[in-house]
Amino acid sequence: MNRDATKSLRISHVGLRGVVGPGLTAARVIDFASAFGTFLDAPGAVVTGRDPRASGVMIREGVAAGLMACGRDVIDLGVVSTPVIQHTIRRMGAAGGVSIGASHNTAAWNALKFFGPAGVYLSTAEAGELLDIYHLRKFDFADWRGIGRLHIETGTIDPYLDELAAMFDIAAIRGFCVVVDCCNGTSSHILNRMNRRFGTHFILINAKTEGVEFAHGPATTRDTVGLQLAPLMVPLGADAGFLFDVDSDRVALASEDGTAVSEELVLPLIADYLLPRHEGKLVITNLSSTALLEEVAARHGGRVLRVPVGRQSAMDALATYRPEQIALAGEGTGAVMMPQFRFIYDGIASMLAILSMMKERGARLSEILKSYPRYSIIKGEVPLLSRQIPALLAAIRERYRDGQVNATDGLRVDWPDRWFHVRVSQTEPVVRIICERRGDPPRELYNELVEQCLAANTY
Amino acid sequence: MPRREHLLKIGVSGVRGVVGEFLTPALACAFAQAFGTYVGVGRVVVGRDTRSSGPMLQHAVTCGLLASGCEVVNLGILPTPTIQMFAGSSCAQGGIAITASHNPPEYNALKLFNARGLFFNQYEREELIDLYHQSEFRNAANGEIRKVADDFESPARLHISRILKHVDVERIRRRRFRVAIDCVNGAGSTMTPAFLRDELNCEVHAISIDPEKPFPREAEPRPDTLGDLSTLVSATKSSVGFAQDPDGDRLAVADETGRILDNDDVLALAVDVALRRSSGDVVVNLTTSSAIDDIAASHGRAVYRTPVGEANVVETIQAVNAAIGGEGANGGIVFPAVHLCRDSYTGMAFLLDRMAETGESMSTLAARLPRYSRKLGKVAYEHGRLGALMQALEGHFPGARLDRLDGLKIMLPQGWIHVRSSNTEPILRIAAEARSAAEAEELHGRVLKLLGEC
Repeated sequence: MNRDATKSLRISHVGLRGVVGPGLTAARVIDFASAFGTFLDAPGAVVTGRDPRASGVMIREGVAAGLMACGRDVIDLGVVSTPVIQHTIRRMGAAGGVSIGASHNTAAWNALKFFGPAGVYLSTAEAGELLDIYHLRKFDFADWRGIGRLHIETGTIDPYLDELAAMFDIAAIRGFCVVVDCCNGTSSHILNRMNRRFGTHFILINAKTEGVEFAHGPATTRDTVGLQLAPLMVPLGADAGFLFDVDSDRVALASEDGTAVSEELVLPLIADYLLPRHEGKLVITNLSSTALLEEVAARHGGRVLRVPVGRQSAMDALATYRPEQIALAGEGTGAVMMPQFRFIYDGIASMLAILSMMKERGARLSEILKSYPRYSIIKGEVPLLSRQIPALLAAIRERYRDGQVNATDGLRVDWPDRWFHVRVSQTEPVVRIICERRGDPPRELYNELVEQCLAANTY
Repeated sequence: MPRREHLLKIGVSGVRGVVGEFLTPALACAFAQAFGTYVGVGRVVVGRDTRSSGPMLQHAVTCGLLASGCEVVNLGILPTPTIQMFAGSSCAQGGIAITASHNPPEYNALKLFNARGLFFNQYEREELIDLYHQSEFRNAANGEIRKVADDFESPARLHISRILKHVDVERIRRRRFRVAIDCVNGAGSTMTPAFLRDELNCEVHAISIDPEKPFPREAEPRPDTLGDLSTLVSATKSSVGFAQDPDGDRLAVADETGRILDNDDVLALAVDVALRRSSGDVVVNLTTSSAIDDIAASHGRAVYRTPVGEANVVETIQAVNAAIGGEGANGGIVFPAVHLCRDSYTGMAFLLDRMAETGESMSTLAARLPRYSRKLGKVAYEHGRLGALMQALEGHFPGARLDRLDGLKIMLPQGWIHVRSSNTEPILRIAAEARSAAEAEELHGRVLKLLGEC
């Protein structure tokens, strides 16, 4: 996140993202919202919501103006999580929705995510069409008789919780003492409401949603969990600790013994919980996430489908299967979706799955985690020289010919006990390097790759 | 080749255009961001009239203002004078009214006010437009983005309390006037009935006071568009009828018989009331009736004439510290002791106060005014050809007193002629006034004849 703020703007199939002010401007927001209003086919209103960043109000105004100008009524949910927005789109039968929030990025950033009917992320083809309309800037504005209005809708958390309560036995997990680092994000509203409504025992830290600065970076990683959450576990006698990104679609965790757990373990953990009831079904994940997933899936007769990194690839993969063929989907970043909430990454639902698993097994979180073989992952990044990428990838491929190669997204090379993945980030101008080994960290392999990437800049 | 329709104007009066194809949210947002950059970080008040495009444009404007680092106070639906006054007295850096005033419903516009709640002067406007064109806006970072606050109550309270200081409220209340009003479903729809009923104790009979509905008549309040008000006055036996335009700055008046008064006469009545209680001179535009000169003279005051346009009148009122000013034909009354803006509410209060003071009917008060006849007209006309016509007119009236401040005004013993090209359309406006209708008609006809010859 150390990029020059004036070059932070990224307009892609995933939407619009940048540092507000120098990168993400009001004009771009209005144009993108106008493009979305032009793009939408289905009749009906458009749902909007935002995370608590201060810039969210400015962006909300622009999104509303663009959509209303295209003749759409806008239903604004205020400060809510992305999953709540997606649920509400489906519940209200809306034409689509926009989530305003930069999820795991720092407070200076903001972004727009777009959803179609039923709260589904746009497919790559649809996102491409939206981008074309944005670039053409030929929008279908309504005349004065057809301009839309804005409606404020509060109280969308309860219907969302109704759905969660239908899926998880919330009463059963009331006994757990759970500490949550809300990262000053939308999870605090949801969990406060759960405490009042279900008598759950969530102790919240960083629960204020003021939006100017966050207590710490909101990335759902082991490092972030280690900052404030993990050290609280033992003193508070907590059974588990969870950390949510600002829009609550991702989660990271700490175990009751004060360990900050690798973000890579969230997906295998939930797979281990869900696969027994979805015997033989698919787990969809990307090429960068832990190989532990294959081991866990194998225990339950499940199958892992690996697709290129990025939400768009996951969405396209999801769309090619029927819901009943899929057990779950997710990334090594703590973003997990379950078949009941298809196309919705939901951190709160992920937490409830993990707590339910602890309850059903009558096991401590650390015990469950210890039941998995140890994998060590190293993630890093090297600044990008775009023109050198093809040569770099060819050189790496040449060097590691003995492994099993997958070139669908950069280069992934697998050996029986270790693998690496070198790819170009979609969100930042860097090459990402991920290495994992069953057992101790693959430090040597990682260093080799970093050196090779750095050397590539001098080709 | 047919003239290409481009129904958007970015110019001295702000941004105005047909919403959708021409006035887009992107344009409104960018202009607001330029405005926020220009006035500097601080509070900006934003209100609007009842047009269907108003909420959309208000969101776009709010987006641009927030992006420039300004705090936004949303005033909701309010008359333009109320917004101006509040901008000028709420420690704001400026204000924006989203209204196309008397234009048809497909139009909308941004009217821009400075920290004193006044329209930008010519130099401010030029600076702002340069800034807009350069697109070098202030782009606030997350930590610099301020909030939006609502204030739906204070502006109307401020406006009304200021007016009430300048009339004898008890005198008006005691009369319990029966008043008919037509708010054109505009920005005055809520405030006007409340003002007349609660503050001035009138029995109010209202039509077109639903801000959710479209304008039921032409937006500009003129005698030929106010048939429904005339009918309402007669049907309810009201003492007077008032009509506003969609943003509540312009006023038209019906007497107790339902006859719609000439707008010049309404201004003349208001000027008379103002000069009875305030010192200072009078400022009107060149097209306003000579009745103003007679009334000012009867109070021993001078009259200053300006080019057509509210901004011109307001600037001269400031310069000469006048008691009152206005523009006859378009129903604008500017009473600076309340605020330096067109204000239909001051007009209503003044007329009711005069009726209460004299015990006379509106028709009697109007009949007492100096009698002049006016003929106003417009013809399609290429802008560039005005010079030839002006020369022909000068040759036709040798020795006449001339004023070239705005087009050409020719002052003759029997009356005057004023020809000017419109600022907004390719048309020529012709006004003639004389002591009798026949003379006014004759002067007007002479201009048309000359126009055909040159």
